[in-house]
Amino acid sequence: MKNPIILIFAFIVAAKAQGNTLVLLDNQVIKETHSIFFKSLQDRGYTLTFKIADDSSLVLSKYGEYLYENLIIFAPSVIEFGGNLNVDTITQFIDNGGNVLVAGSESTGDILRELASEVGFEVDEEGAFVIDHLNYDSSDEGQHTKLVVSSENLIDAPVIVGIKKNIAPILYQGTGILADSENPLVLPLLTADSTAYSYQPDQAIKEYPHAIGKDTVLIAGLQARNNARIVFSGSLSFFSDEYFTSPVEKVSGDLKSAKSGNEDVAVAISQWVFKEHGRLRVKAVQHHKAGENAPPHDYTIMDDVVYKIGIEIYDNGKWKPFSANDVQLEFVRIDPFVRTTLKSNANGVYEAKFKIPDVYGVYQFKVDYDRVGFTRLYSTTQVSVRPLQHTQYERFIDSAYPYYTSAFSMMLGLFVFSIVFLHMKDDEKKSKNE
Amino acid sequence: MAQINAVLSKFYNDYMSKTSKKLKVIDAYLFYILLTGIIQFAYCVLVGTFPFNSFLSGFISTVSCFVLGVCLRLQVNPENKNQFHGISPERGFADFIFAHAILHLVVMNFIG
Repeated sequence: MKNPIILIFAFIVAAKAQGNTLVLLDNQVIKETHSIFFKSLQDRGYTLTFKIADDSSLVLSKYGEYLYENLIIFAPSVIEFGGNLNVDTITQFIDNGGNVLVAGSESTGDILRELASEVGFEVDEEGAFVIDHLNYDSSDEGQHTKLVVSSENLIDAPVIVGIKKNIAPILYQGTGILADSENPLVLPLLTADSTAYSYQPDQAIKEYPHAIGKDTVLIAGLQARNNARIVFSGSLSFFSDEYFTSPVEKVSGDLKSAKSGNEDVAVAISQWVFKEHGRLRVKAVQHHKAGENAPPHDYTIMDDVVYKIGIEIYDNGKWKPFSANDVQLEFVRIDPFVRTTLKSNANGVYEAKFKIPDVYGVYQFKVDYDRVGFTRLYSTTQVSVRPLQHTQYERFIDSAYPYYTSAFSMMLGLFVFSIVFLHMKDDEKKSKNE
Repeated sequence: MAQINAVLSKFYNDYMSKTSKKLKVIDAYLFYILLTGIIQFAYCVLVGTFPFNSFLSGFISTVSCFVLGVCLRLQVNPENKNQFHGISPERGFADFIFAHAILHLVVMNFIG
């Protein structure tokens, strides 16, 4: 009798595990045409709430609490969101750690452009497609906008897009995105080939296109400083069932596959953007003198010190040990005095042994691990380093004997001088008396 | 040159005849301190600053002794009597000894 209840309860918990997601659509049809993508999310435990983008009851937060952890906007042509949703509330949502996945198209509405520019992207003008006269699919209708993009053009980060070489060519039809090259947080997840450009396909090219060649970003990502993640795709059809299942055949060349790589990439990107992948945290930090176990109240200069940090990665709903060989530790007093690579032990514990420099002050053990696709790991531990105690200095140094002698000779000199001086004084008085 | 010689010899003669014996003793003491200080400094330049605290305390002890000696010389000089009226030479000497006691305590503490 109890078991089914427990099962149902467990099922609900599992279903809730990945958090609430609000999906905004242009119309209900998109729910059907993109069903594979939505189903893969639901299978992974997301609770999807479908709403039409200009539904007047839209709310992201109630009583100061966010109702959703993630937001999907599959509504390219929306002019204005309904309810209290607008660019400000969405940016605030991002500032509070929410993740956003946006898909645009050639007719991206102004509000999405505004949102894109808030997060460091620029969407090309209305009606502009990414065109490539060399890399289009054989099913293209003559405008050369249905591109076949090799998986080589994906960003070099397995944590975001999966392993590149296992991915079939990707189909893409939509507008181009310009990424702010000065924004270090922006990641071009998928770029076009060098023969591509972004323009209105049915117009003669009179102006220089906004995006040309590899600068044309097809899917752009951003990880904000608070680790909120945003992905902006210039193509809604990239996520569609049609593109997920259709075969790919490039008109010229050998890129060919019975099934496009869209599903793999779209699923991998959705896993990244909703923080199933690449989430790091510090488990524990330990530091102590070599040969001891507990951290001392303060360190003395030139002490040998051992620093250990445990790092975990989120994997399938559990925190597991994280392994890497490029985690560095800095021992910082305004400037780093020591910078060393931490040695990875088993169980995701990283260890460094080093000698504290001959400079006293307030230091920090600092681990700042910032890698493409991973959340930023930043851990500081403050310790004070004091100079030697009065009794710890070296004594009776050979080369210091002249100084010792001089100091004592000063005392002896004073003694002799005092005797002579006092004696002389009597003489003076006598001579005066005489 | 001859003038300089004349100046120097006059200076020497005046010093020998007009300076009291007491001040001459102080001058001899100051000369001795000066010499020790110079030797120490030259040694430090040659050998390096390694036991820097030792060098500092040794050198500062000579400098301070010199300064205290000069102060004593000013106070016991009869010509400066109007500037130090109310302070007898005995009082000046007592101050001198007291300052030395503190100085040497600090030097010993710091010399390492």
